[in-house]
Amino acid sequence: MKKRKAFQTVGSVALVLLAFCVALALLTRLLEPKYATTLTEGSMISQYYAESGGHEVIFVGDCEVYANFSPMELYREAGITAYVRGTPQQLLWQSYYILEETFAYETPKVVVLNVNAMRYSEPVSEAYNRLTIDNMRWSSAKVGIILASMTEEDSFASYLFPILRYHSRFDELTQEDFLYFLETPANTYSGYQMNKAVNPAGTLPTKHVLASYDFEQICWEYLDRIRLLCQEHGAQLVLIKAPSLYPYWYEEYDAQIEDYAATNGLNFYNFLDVADSIGIDYSTDTYDGGLHLNLSGATKLSTYFAGILAQEYALTDYRVDAAVSAQYDEKLRLYDLAAAQ
Amino acid sequence: MGPLRVALVRIGMSMAAEIGILLCSLALYARYGMGALAYLLGVGILTYGVGLLLPRRRWLMWPLIALNAAALLGARFLPLAGWGIAAPLGLSYFTLQSISYTVDVAQGKYEPERSVLAFGLYLSYFPHLFFGPIESYPGMKAALAARKISWDSISEGGARLMWGLFKKLAIAARAGVVVGSISAAPEQYRGAYALLAMLLYAVEIYADFSGGVDIVLGVSRMLGLRLSENFDAPYFSQSVAEFWRRWHITLGAWLRTYIYIPLGGNRRGKVRKVLNGIVTFLVSGLWHGSQYLLWGLLNGIFVACGERFKTRFRALNCALTFLLMSLLWSFFIWPDSRTALASIASLVTTFNYGELAANIENLGLNAGEWLAFLCCALLLWGHDLFRAPLARRFASAAPAARTAVIVALALAVLVLGMYGIGFEAQDFIYSRF
Repeated sequence: MKKRKAFQTVGSVALVLLAFCVALALLTRLLEPKYATTLTEGSMISQYYAESGGHEVIFVGDCEVYANFSPMELYREAGITAYVRGTPQQLLWQSYYILEETFAYETPKVVVLNVNAMRYSEPVSEAYNRLTIDNMRWSSAKVGIILASMTEEDSFASYLFPILRYHSRFDELTQEDFLYFLETPANTYSGYQMNKAVNPAGTLPTKHVLASYDFEQICWEYLDRIRLLCQEHGAQLVLIKAPSLYPYWYEEYDAQIEDYAATNGLNFYNFLDVADSIGIDYSTDTYDGGLHLNLSGATKLSTYFAGILAQEYALTDYRVDAAVSAQYDEKLRLYDLAAAQ
Repeated sequence: MGPLRVALVRIGMSMAAEIGILLCSLALYARYGMGALAYLLGVGILTYGVGLLLPRRRWLMWPLIALNAAALLGARFLPLAGWGIAAPLGLSYFTLQSISYTVDVAQGKYEPERSVLAFGLYLSYFPHLFFGPIESYPGMKAALAARKISWDSISEGGARLMWGLFKKLAIAARAGVVVGSISAAPEQYRGAYALLAMLLYAVEIYADFSGGVDIVLGVSRMLGLRLSENFDAPYFSQSVAEFWRRWHITLGAWLRTYIYIPLGGNRRGKVRKVLNGIVTFLVSGLWHGSQYLLWGLLNGIFVACGERFKTRFRALNCALTFLLMSLLWSFFIWPDSRTALASIASLVTTFNYGELAANIENLGLNAGEWLAFLCCALLLWGHDLFRAPLARRFASAAPAARTAVIVALALAVLVLGMYGIGFEAQDFIYSRF
């Protein structure tokens, strides 16, 4: 009798604790930003999981990849299956861990890394980290990316229990938080964030003279780790620098990357140098005055890069594969529909 | 295993646990500086050693009291003279405990403690080192002797801990944001703003201090210890005198035992009674800091004559006492007595209530935060009003119901608490005294 009562007590306490966990999970989901209509970049990282597998090309990097390269155009042009795992202000160590996670899902033939992140040796802000990390699935890569990215004001616990970070949103909740409680709808096309607006280039920022143009040691270290990770998984690493009118990429930077690429037998494509050949017109092909490309510019750049990828790397033309093309035809239909709207 | 062996094992485990608590206390204290730890150990060793000699050499009490008082006064006055001395954290608390132990042993109230472990725990038990409760030696010894960890102690302690965190993070922290905004610009914020700051500070300091003590009592309860209560819903008091019997109860008891009664208490006529009360409050003011002497004096006066102004309406008495205490807390809000008095005076010279209403969301809290604060403060008020039946219900509740209370409080702390990025957590107000 006494034993039975003890079991009942333990059972009821366990049920209450279970209810606490459920309530905590529901509250966390409610209070987390949904990134559905504002700061939509925050939901990019999680959209990959629904589409993971079967990509021969994976892009990693910051806004210069998700705004400028469209996998749909790569497929349309050369039958390449690609996915852009770009996130805002993605730092090099973040690219490394995102790539590590990607290799757990699939083995691409080519990994395209935008080297713009070589300019940053420390996190820009905690908010940017959140956009990249919060919606990653839990894995050793997520633990690694958190530990590598945390700022002084950050704590690991707040990534483990996001309610610690977002609890104060209780008075900022909007319809969006309830509408997308279960799931945030996809807002990219295989990781490409479509932007059709046209905002021609005007006055550009001044090109500053820097005290030093040398990349920091930590950036080189992670670039090496990315190279070795690709090597380990049999993927070819391709370095690129996306085009932009903003004067943030210096010749001294370029020389260092070229040296690195030559030393390690990698290809480096600097699209800054060939923007004219690609046909980019900054009076029509940018949505923010020359910093990023709009749909028109991204289409030109992607078509151009598709040619290089198809020519230089032994990629499959999936347009002749019935099963894959059926999937991509549907994706293209939705993509074109959105582009035409 | 024979009964003797069982008893020995239990004693051994209990001793090991107490050694663990003592070492943890010292290790945690060491985080605030090795100098502070050395000072605490010095006071402990001296009090322990002198205590052993006191039954035969009673006069030793005086140098030890003088030494402790000098340390306390030095910490209060030397900074005023430009000496940048950082007082060890919790100095006010362990100094009072050292003095009370010394006096009691010298007066033969109890035998000096021979166990280093028991005495060490009395003086340095970490949870109560920073804001009390200020335990008497027999009280701490009894608590240690009765120490027992059980489901009851863990669940009671857990609920108390969560309630303390709720008071600190959801109520005190929010009130503190507004009080901080107003007190940062005393020239700009006068009249209605000053009144708002006073009323909110009354809530803040109560939620902060009693919340901190709840955490101490909760953690102690979880460790099997039952320490003294330090608050008894003080804002439901009918007068200032009653307020001080229900606020910081253990400091009040200490001042009564070691200052007020030795001065003669109420045994030497009405005038001496009033004077003794005022002196006791001056000491209390001094204990808080040299800038609180005027605050102590005013409290002494209000305690002496407050009973005369009591009405037959209990709610009105409560409201008036709350208002009076809110005015007196002004000395804690503004950096000096002059600014505090100017702010009090502005209540009747500046009528800007309309401006305050229009500006209420520009003081650090938006509408949602204000609503959250009011709801939480209302919960605190309700808890204090029904504290006895609530405690009885909790004590008789089934384990699942107790767990539900704890987890509900934990969720409330998680969601409504002010912490994390963008919020600068403030130390407990009373840890600086």
